[in-house]
Order: sequence, then structure tokens, then C-alpha cells
Amino acid sequence: MVTEKEKKTRGQVLEEWKEFVWNPRTREFMGRTGTSWAFILLFYLVFYAFLTALFTLTMWVMLQTLSDHIPTYQDQLATPGLMIRPKTENLEVLVNLSDSQSWKKHVEILDKFLEPYNDSIQAQKNDVCRPGHYYEQPDNGVLNYPKRACQFNRTQLGDCSGLSDPTHYGYSTGQPCVFIKMNRVINFYAGANQTMNVTCVGKRNEDAQNLGDFAMFPANGNIDLMYYPYYGKKFHVNYTQPLVAVKFMNVTPNVEVNVECRINAVNIATDDERDKFAGRVAFKLRIVKI
Amino acid sequence: MVGGFSSLLWAGAILCFIAYVIEFTKDNSASMDNLFLGIVLVLVVILTGMFAYYQEAKSTNIIGSISKMIPRKALVIRDGEKKEIPAEELVVGDIVEIKGGDQIPADIRILDSQGCKVDNSSLTGESEPQLRSCHFTHENPLETKNIGFYSTTCLEGTATGMVINTGDRTIIGRIASLASSVGQEKTPIAIEIEHFVHIVAGVAVSIGIVFFIIAICMKYRVLDAVIFLIGIILANVPEGLVAAVTVSLSLTAKRMAKKNCLVKNLEAVETLGSTSIICSDKTGTLTQNRMTVAHLWFDNQIYRADTSEDQKAQSFDQSSATWASLLNIVTLCNRAEFGAGQENVSIMKKIVMGDASETALLKFSEVIMGDVIERRKRNKKVAEIPFNSLNKFQLSIHETDDKRFLLVMKGAPEAILEKCSTIMFNGQEQPLDESAREAFQTAYMLLGGLGERVLGFCHLYLPEDEFPDTYSFDTETMNFPTSDLCFVGLISLIDPPRSNVPDAIIKCRSAGIKVIMVTGDHPITAKAIARSVGIISANSETVEDIAKRLKIPVEQVNKREAKAAVVSGMELKEMSPEQLDELLKNHSEIVFARTSPQQKLIIVEGCQRQDAVVAVTGDGVNDSPALKKANIGIAMGFAGSDAAKIAADMVLLDDNFASIVTGIEEGRLIFDNLKKIIAFTLTKNIAELCPFLIFIIAGVPLPIGTIVILFIDLGTDIIPSIALAYEKAESDIMNRKPRHKKKDRLVNHQLALYSYLHIGILQSVGGFFAYFTAYAVQGFRPDLLLYLRPLWVDDTINDLEDSYGQEWTKYQRNHLEWTGYTAYFVAVMVQQIADVIIRKTRINSIFQQGLFRNKYIWVGIASQIIIAVILSSGFGSVPILSFTTLRVQYWFVAVPYAIVIWLYDEFRKLLIRRYPGSWWDKNMYY
Repeated sequence: MVTEKEKKTRGQVLEEWKEFVWNPRTREFMGRTGTSWAFILLFYLVFYAFLTALFTLTMWVMLQTLSDHIPTYQDQLATPGLMIRPKTENLEVLVNLSDSQSWKKHVEILDKFLEPYNDSIQAQKNDVCRPGHYYEQPDNGVLNYPKRACQFNRTQLGDCSGLSDPTHYGYSTGQPCVFIKMNRVINFYAGANQTMNVTCVGKRNEDAQNLGDFAMFPANGNIDLMYYPYYGKKFHVNYTQPLVAVKFMNVTPNVEVNVECRINAVNIATDDERDKFAGRVAFKLRIVKI
Repeated sequence: MVGGFSSLLWAGAILCFIAYVIEFTKDNSASMDNLFLGIVLVLVVILTGMFAYYQEAKSTNIIGSISKMIPRKALVIRDGEKKEIPAEELVVGDIVEIKGGDQIPADIRILDSQGCKVDNSSLTGESEPQLRSCHFTHENPLETKNIGFYSTTCLEGTATGMVINTGDRTIIGRIASLASSVGQEKTPIAIEIEHFVHIVAGVAVSIGIVFFIIAICMKYRVLDAVIFLIGIILANVPEGLVAAVTVSLSLTAKRMAKKNCLVKNLEAVETLGSTSIICSDKTGTLTQNRMTVAHLWFDNQIYRADTSEDQKAQSFDQSSATWASLLNIVTLCNRAEFGAGQENVSIMKKIVMGDASETALLKFSEVIMGDVIERRKRNKKVAEIPFNSLNKFQLSIHETDDKRFLLVMKGAPEAILEKCSTIMFNGQEQPLDESAREAFQTAYMLLGGLGERVLGFCHLYLPEDEFPDTYSFDTETMNFPTSDLCFVGLISLIDPPRSNVPDAIIKCRSAGIKVIMVTGDHPITAKAIARSVGIISANSETVEDIAKRLKIPVEQVNKREAKAAVVSGMELKEMSPEQLDELLKNHSEIVFARTSPQQKLIIVEGCQRQDAVVAVTGDGVNDSPALKKANIGIAMGFAGSDAAKIAADMVLLDDNFASIVTGIEEGRLIFDNLKKIIAFTLTKNIAELCPFLIFIIAGVPLPIGTIVILFIDLGTDIIPSIALAYEKAESDIMNRKPRHKKKDRLVNHQLALYSYLHIGILQSVGGFFAYFTAYAVQGFRPDLLLYLRPLWVDDTINDLEDSYGQEWTKYQRNHLEWTGYTAYFVAVMVQQIADVIIRKTRINSIFQQGLFRNKYIWVGIASQIIIAVILSSGFGSVPILSFTTLRVQYWFVAVPYAIVIWLYDEFRKLLIRRYPGSWWDKNMYY
């Protein structure tokens, strides 16, 4: 029936393609002459230059509206999250006593992480603040006046300070220290003027049994109010984040222990269903001993 | 019609399932996102498919009621008993009885007939009732009198017959199956949409593959690369377009139905718009399908009668005494009568018993004089000889007021003139001399040349002494004079053109549509009608005309000089396809006369060889192959047979050619508007695609989620795109040529480039601006976002630092990511408002078109805003939908870009209007 749709031979198709790519008769490359190509390229050059300029301009205007020291909104940061050091893959602290390589990397991370907490550096850069009180530093008319930070000395971490510690934060003996830190949020008055501390528990019953004893540094896992509020990276230059170290003394070896630490503070909710790290942190401990 | 998209979406859904299965086998607690997305995609495919089907079915339903053509019951004699059974249960050999009003349930051979007359018009196109008897009169079953055909109607009388064929084996069934075997070409719009799907699918697949490879090279996991691929496909496929196109087409179909074009198949709406040749029937379509008095000749002068539909304006001189006599003959020498009970019906609409000419004369006299029946009663008929083809006249004798009998006669003019010795002139009888005869000849030739059927009228008052009122007239022995009568005048009749047809033809001509008349009539009549409606325009000549004017033989005329051609069926039969092509190419005004319905098919095929989109009108069953073969078959609503209606794509409810033209206008408009709809829909595909590309290349957090894309395509954009279908034409669309099937594409590269690379990119930039703003105000400045992705998506990093030193958990980041989606979504929505406004026109300024003329656009814009507000407020709590609430001021972030879009498009249109034909015009006008 359909006679007009004769199949083109492959040669014809190839020929048509060739002609499309370069047509010697009309001197067209891909269906356009040289001038046409020049025009179209010029046009797109101009058009996209214009777009780039427009984008740059609007971005510039937008960035002008931002403050340097505090973001415009902190919608998502009402509840600071908790996190552990060493941050391991899958948040599993694995210590294989017969394989020093398994924990060496944790120790290296911690050494580096704790270096700024050295007492000498703290004494040199930061103030000694009044415990139990917020260290508020209003601008007092001077815009974005640089802020001072309070000292958090490594020695406060006691057995977990790693200072002159042959056990490498207890990792070599199977009594590892895990450091808990609370996320920085600008102008957040953690604890709402009341004391707060970090507590840890085994997640399930068996975890609680397997977890065994642990010690907390500073004592009770307290976090002092003087480290708050935080004024932001740019103006709170040497801000030292308070830490709570947990030393697990006798974890049942060769089982996976689920630990959950949470902060007990009046103004930090720790029961967000969807955000598993809001005011709390869950991690696994596994000590392998043969 | 848009099947290509469905397969892309199916591919996307399958990829989703594969991704989910891979994730699931790795980790039992894998997120359900991919599974969910896969299910949503499947639902989208199924629902849009069902929606399109429903729309199609709804408009097909309109016709459904008409198409119940099959005779339902048959009266059959079985086992000596009369039974009524469903017609489809008849078998060959059954004896059936039919009576007036029945449809014949199968092909039957008549065994016995009492004055049975059938209407075979649906089969042969002849509307004269035909007598059926049990006599075998012809070898050809279509000619012989003893066969009744399936689906034809018995008009009067009764008959008994034996079933000889049933179902598909009947004559009509064979024609119908011939119709279904005629290959039907794809509709132009289907071809266009296919072309468009190819473009989009090509873009989607090639970008998808390129970025899949890039993602692999950038060391993304294969699974991630697959998920990117899904996103790219999803962004590229305009999911809502199927629905928008179907709705727009069915809206147009509805509008056309109001204008008496009933469209059976939605795609036909546009086909009509791209029509370049119309092959039209004459009778009933171009003409009124009733004989009407066109001219009168008396007192040696030709008068013109009003042939319009109501015939109110009869303006000729009615004062002459000759006219009074002529009117008397017309009134009395007429067997036609008005049907009973029609007192309140206007004269033209009254049903008349009688043949076409007598009906015309009866109505004519009723209009002029009123109350014909009363006059007939006063002049009682005492004798009558009906018309027969032997004596070619009709005669009757009436009583008159002055006791004399009046003999009136009408018939073929030359036969009537022979019987006359005098002629009436200004009421006086004068001898019929040579000059009078010559005047008669001139008038007769002139009227005959107009293609009109001419009748002569004469009378004679019988002398009272020879024919007293007790005289008994005997028509057998003819005991009264039938010669030396007095000739009174001529009346010529024609089936006049419908009054709005000439305008419609002019419109067609200015719209570049060739109108070809195909008729079974005599060439002279056909040509006369063609001239009077303008199919052959006033100053164009046929070869014969030129030969006559130059007084040379027809063979010597240069055929190329003749614009018009009148070709008879006989000539057509002799022609080779090449000769027919030649004819169709060289003549712009063609009339085919004396053609059989079968030849219509040949003509249609000839036209299609010229790459034309051909519309064909038809009514008979044997028109159905041609209707089917045509790009658009148009059946007549009144006169059309059911078979024709079934084969056709469109039914013309008022049988009027002018309705086709309004249909064409609508079809052209929808083509333009579909362009606008597609341009509108395609634009935001780039704005949906770019996020994935930037995401892969620059490693920023994902700016827009797949579910959000679906909400744009199937949510905010649906109503505005449909609203574009209501857009009025920008200029007179009936002043341009029909679109060239192969050159004027629905989606040409200008449209694709302008939508993709101009407005689309602009929108993307606007969207990214909103996205960066949403992150920046929460603490993530743009410079930080680059290549942040690996950290950003890591579930175990719950203290990711932002530009201000604050730390974020994964969930907090997720929430911010959704805010980013929402900001991007709102930005696209705002810019799509600008987009729908600029798409109102392709060349005119928005202000020329009027911002408020199409109210539906504003409904569409309102719907966009409302849907966006609902999504970003109420649904924010449904996490899988990934919307969050956006502060009011961030709804306006993209407004500058929306304004730039509008300004840029106005600038584009301005340059196109200023410099038509320029480089800009060629590259920027879509």
C-alpha cells in the first residue's frame, strides 16, 4: 500500500549524512554556512555572557545582604546535634587488640583533634572564664567586635587526655576513650542557664550489660555554660569546643555494643524521631580480644 | 500517540526498581525512595495513558450513538411460523418479510413484492426510490430489480425475500471491508508528535548516557550513576504533555462540534487544519440539495429568481399578464402536494410529496402567491396525463371560473414548443413566428448552458361550445387537442449553491486550500455550479473555454494556459496515474463530473501523491473507501449513510461546506497553540535537567528532587499549558498557506533551541539563584557548596561545618536540601508564569494580543501559585514529598529573572516583526 516509504539503502543514508556534515554545494557545515555559524556562535557568546553577568550581579546583591558573623536564619539548628571523636566509618569504634593498626588510625585522629586543646595553647590564646556562667560578649557599639574564647584544657580530660599516656587513650588496652562533642550553633545558649551534662547508656538491655563501667571526664560529663554562646567562625576565632570524654573500662569483648550518649539540658530536646543525632549520638563499640 | 514518552518513563521506573533491588540486597534497611519513585512513575504512565484514553473515548462516544446502523430485528419465517429474531441471527436461506420503513436485514432476493420501493442512496448515491420486484432484470446485482441490499431502507410496500448473503459477505459488507483494507496513513499530528518525541527522547537519552559516562569517570558508584540517569530521564520527559495535548485537542473538538463539525478521532482536529486539498461533493454539500427555480423566461425576457435558502426576495417583474398565466400553469400542472399537518412549518421546510422539480415549482408558487391548494380546489382537475419519458410532457385539464376548461402542459421545452402555434406576449397571444422561435432558442440555450434544468409551459382554453362542462375527458383516447397550444414561458431549475459556500470557497482560496469538486452530475451543470460558488473563479478558463474564445480546436490549446479543468469520469478512466498527477499539478481549479464513487478513491490517491493533506466529503456507502483513504474523511450528518459515518474521521452535522472551513480554522489554530503548549512545556525541562548536570559536575547538594520534578510537570504546569489552547490566533490564520507536511514542523529546531537554550537556560540560572540563596541565608555560602557532595550525603557525618562555623547533622542538612528543592521549585514556578505569558504569542507583542483576552491563562497562573502554596505549606510535613515551607520573601527571588524572560521575549518578537526574513527571524521564530 505505502509505496512512498521505500527503504533507503545504507549507502544513501551514509551519503545524506555526509552531505549534512559537509555540503560542498552550499558550503554548509552541519546545515549552516560559515557566516551562519559565526553569527550563531557570536549570538550565544553574547547571550550567555549576558546571563553570566545577570547571575553574577544577582548573586552579588544577594551576598551583600548576608551578615559576616551570623547567618540570616538558623531554621534547622534549633537542636544541636552530638557527634563522637574519633569519627569512624559507620560510627563503629573497632579496637582489635592483636592488631595495632586497627586502632592506630583512631589514635592519630585523636592526637590531631586534641592538639589545639593543649594547655599551653589554651593559656596562650584563650581566657580563663567564670565557670557556671555564659561568657557573653556584646558588641557594645563596636560592630562585630572580635570575641574571646574560654579555655578548655586538655588536662581536664583526665585519663582521656592522652598526655603522657602509654595506653594511647586506652586503645592499646581495650579501654578506649570516646570523645563527645556538641555541634556549634551561633548564639545558642545551651542549657538555658542551668547545668548540663552528657550521659551514656547501652542502647538495649544486653548492650547495657556488655557496656560495663565507664568513666567520664570532666566529671559527670558536665559541660560548662562558659563555652556558650558561640559567636561564629569569623569573630570567635579561637573558640574551643567543650568535650566530654568517656572511657569504657571493661567492655565485653568480641560483641558489638550499641552505645547512646545524650545531652541533658533544659533547652535541648533529644527525642526527635527523625533526626537521630539531635542532642544525642549513637555509636558502636567493639573490642576484639583473642 | 505519545507512546514514546511512556517507554522512556517505563525505562525510568525499571531503573528505579533495579536501583532499589541493588540497594536492598546490600542493606536491608535501604531507603524506600527509589521503590517509591518507581511506583510513582508507573502510576504516572498508567494514569496519563488512561486519561488520554478517556478523553479520546469521550469524544468518540458522541459518534457512538450514530453508529448503531445495523438493523436490529428481522421478521423471519421459520418452521412455518413468523418470528422476530435479531438480524445477526439470520442465515442464508431464511425467508424474511419486509415492509415500508424497515431496514433490509441482509442481502435478499425478492420472492414476492407488493409495490415495494427501496432507497438505495446509501449504496449507490441515487436518491430516487427504486421499485423492487421478483423479476430478474440485469446481470449486475447492483442493477437488477430483484435484489434488496443489506442496510438499505424499504420506503413503501411490502416484500418477501430469501436471504442470500449475510454480514461481511453482503454487498455493503464487501464495500466496508474494502474500506477497512484501504491503508490509512498516520495523521499529520501523530507524525509531528512522533517527531517531537524523537527529539526529546534523543536529547534525554544522549544527555543521560553522556552524563552516565561522566559520572562513572568521576568515580561515582554505578548505583549513583543509575540514579542520576533516572533523574535526567525524568527531567527530560514532559510527563504532563500527554494530558495537556489531549485536553487541548478535545477542547477544540468540542468547539468544532458547536460549529457542526463532529470529530470522531481527536487527532483529526489538527489534520483538518493542515488540509491542503478538499475534494468536495456537490450535491448537498456545496448546494442546498433541492431543486429551486432559478430563472424564468417570458415576454421575451429572462428573469432571475431568488435561490437563497428562504427565497423571500423574489424581485422580478410580476405585473405582466403573461406571468399571471405562467403562474397559473405552474400551480395547476403539478402533482406535488404538501404533507399533512404542517400548517406551522415555514414553506421551505415543509415536506412535499412529489419529485424534485415539482416540489421546487410548488414551493415557488406557494411563496409568490400563497395557498396553492386553494387555487387547485377552485380549478378542479378533470383529467391528467402524468409525465413519462416517451412523450416528455405532463398535462392536466381543469375547470375554470368562466366555464371553459383550461388545458395546461409542462415538459421538455422543445417538446412543448412543437405543440404550440402561438406564444403569449404581454398577455396577448401572438403567432409563433421565426423571430419568436429564435428568441425561444436563445433563451433555452442560455439557460441550458447555465447547467439548469429547463421546463417549458403552455396552455389552451378549450372552447366552451366544443367542450361543455359535462364533457368527459378520456386520457387514453386523448379526446382533446394537444397541438396549436399557446406557449407561455420557460422556467429553469437548479440545485442552487448554499448561500455561504462562495464565501467559504474564497476563504479556502486565501488560505491556500485547493477545492476540487467531485460530482456525479453532468459536466455542464457541474461547471455552472462550480462557477457560481467560485470553485472555478470568474476569470479563469478551461481548455474548452480557451478553444472557444480563440476559435481553435481543443487540441491546439496550450494546456498550461488553462487554470481550470472540467474532467468527466470517462476521461478520468482513460488517464494514467501520471496524467492525473499532471492534471492535478497544472490546474488549480478542477471539477470532476460524472464520476463514480469508486473514482473518488483514485482522485484522493492522486492528490496524496502531490504530498497534499486531503479532506474528502462523502455520504454513500461506496464513498467509504475514499473517506478512509483520505487524510480526513468527512461524512455528511444528514445525507450520509452510516457506513460513511463510520469510515469518516469527522461528521458534518449540517452537511454544509462552510462548516468545513470553520473547522479548518480551528484546526490551524490548535496547531499554533500546540506549538505554544509544547514550547511552554519544554522550557522548564532544562530547568529540571540542569540541577542534575551541575550536581554531577560541580558536586553541589542536589538542587531539585525527582518527586518535585513530577510536581512541576503534573502539578503546576498542567492548567497553564491547557489554558494556552484557548489562545486566539495572532493574525488571520486563514490568510496563509496550509502548512507543508515536511517543512513546517510542529516542533522545529528553532522552537527546541529557543525553549531549551534560551528561556530554559535563563530559567535554570534563575532557579540556581534561588537555590544558592536558600542555602546562603541558612549558612552555606555558594563557594562552600562546590564539591561538598561527598560530605553532604554522608549519613555518618553529623557535624558538617557551614560557612559560619556551625555544625549540621545529616537530618538538618536533608531538611535544608528540601528547602533548596522548594526554593528551586518556586523559582521555576514563578518563571513559568512569565513563560506562559510570553508563549501567548509567537510574533506579536503581548500587548497586541491583550493580556486579559484569554481568561484561562489567569486561571492557569492562579492554579500554579495555589498548587505551589499548598505544596510548600501543608505537604511540607510529608517527608517523602520533600517540600518545606518557604519564607514569603523567597517566593520573589526569581522575579527579576521572570521579568528578564519577558523582556527578552518581547525583544525577540520586536526584532522579528521589524526585520522579517532576517537572520534573527530565521533563527528565532518558531
